[in-house]
Amino acid sequence: MRTTMQNVFMTLSVLCMAVPAFAQAAGSSSNSMVPLAAGISMAIASGLCGLGQGRAVASSTEALARNPGARPGIFLFLVLGLAFIESLALFTFAIILFKVK
Amino acid sequence: MPLQHFLEHLLNLLMAAPVTALMNWIGRPPINPAAPIDGVFTMELLAFLLLLIFFVIVRLSLNVEKPGTAQQLAEMVEEFVTNQTEPIIGHKYRVYLPFLSSILLFVVINNLLGLLPDVDTATASPVVPLGLALLTFVYYHWQGLKENKHKYIQQFLGPLWWIAPLMLPIEIISHLARILSLTIRLFANMFASDLLTLIFFSLFPFALPVIFLGLHLGVSLIQAYVFMLLASIYIGQAVAHEH
Repeated sequence: MRTTMQNVFMTLSVLCMAVPAFAQAAGSSSNSMVPLAAGISMAIASGLCGLGQGRAVASSTEALARNPGARPGIFLFLVLGLAFIESLALFTFAIILFKVK
Repeated sequence: MPLQHFLEHLLNLLMAAPVTALMNWIGRPPINPAAPIDGVFTMELLAFLLLLIFFVIVRLSLNVEKPGTAQQLAEMVEEFVTNQTEPIIGHKYRVYLPFLSSILLFVVINNLLGLLPDVDTATASPVVPLGLALLTFVYYHWQGLKENKHKYIQQFLGPLWWIAPLMLPIEIISHLARILSLTIRLFANMFASDLLTLIFFSLFPFALPVIFLGLHLGVSLIQAYVFMLLASIYIGQAVAHEH
């Protein structure tokens, strides 16, 4: 427990040092971290969105194989679910688009 | 496409003065007072005109014995929307069919016109999906009020009376979030597809980007379908009777 807290406080103290350093770097040079951040956030968003959509498609295909008669209902919920999952990645895209200038 | 620029010039030539005056009056002066009408609005108007012409042709050539091509197309659209919305809304779906079909056709036409090179995609500008989402929002609340009268408020208050102060803000926020999600879904999909084609065109400016145009075609159709489906789900929820 003691070592854990020690680690946590050490990390926090390092972070206290780090924040002004980053701020200075961003202020003095041009904002070169911005494309990096946009790329990484888009990568995380679309990667996880891909995982989620993969799970949705996998289970709907399985359901379709078990019960081909339920096609219209499964298709409806599949398209809806994919649209909702996809919109999460698109929210990230919109945030990047509007915040990064 | 030269047609868009031609129409844009024509509109600006005819309507620039009143539109600028109107925009000044509402406190949002246009960036370029001599040409306040942009490509997005021109494409919207073009889609509107195409739909209007289509509907007029269908109406004039209605024939029970010998249905023409336009009538076949209109019946296909009607059948598709019916098949999709009847399981969601129930047997009263026919009242909402005109709204849902027009939303579907308008979004499809705007999305597909955006596939042409050198044309502004109307739905890839946040304003147009926002307008459609606001229209859907107002429409389904209006229909819910019309269908359920004063009992419509019960949908926002939750099942128990003492939970109402908690449920009301949550419901209001979730209903407003529907506008946001409808807007951003359509806008970001179309914008991202445009951008994707453009980026791959700049990487490899020959033949390969056509694949992404194919993807864009699929996305255009699916997003129009999803927009129509979500609108019908919202209407279905609003007009449902509590049992």
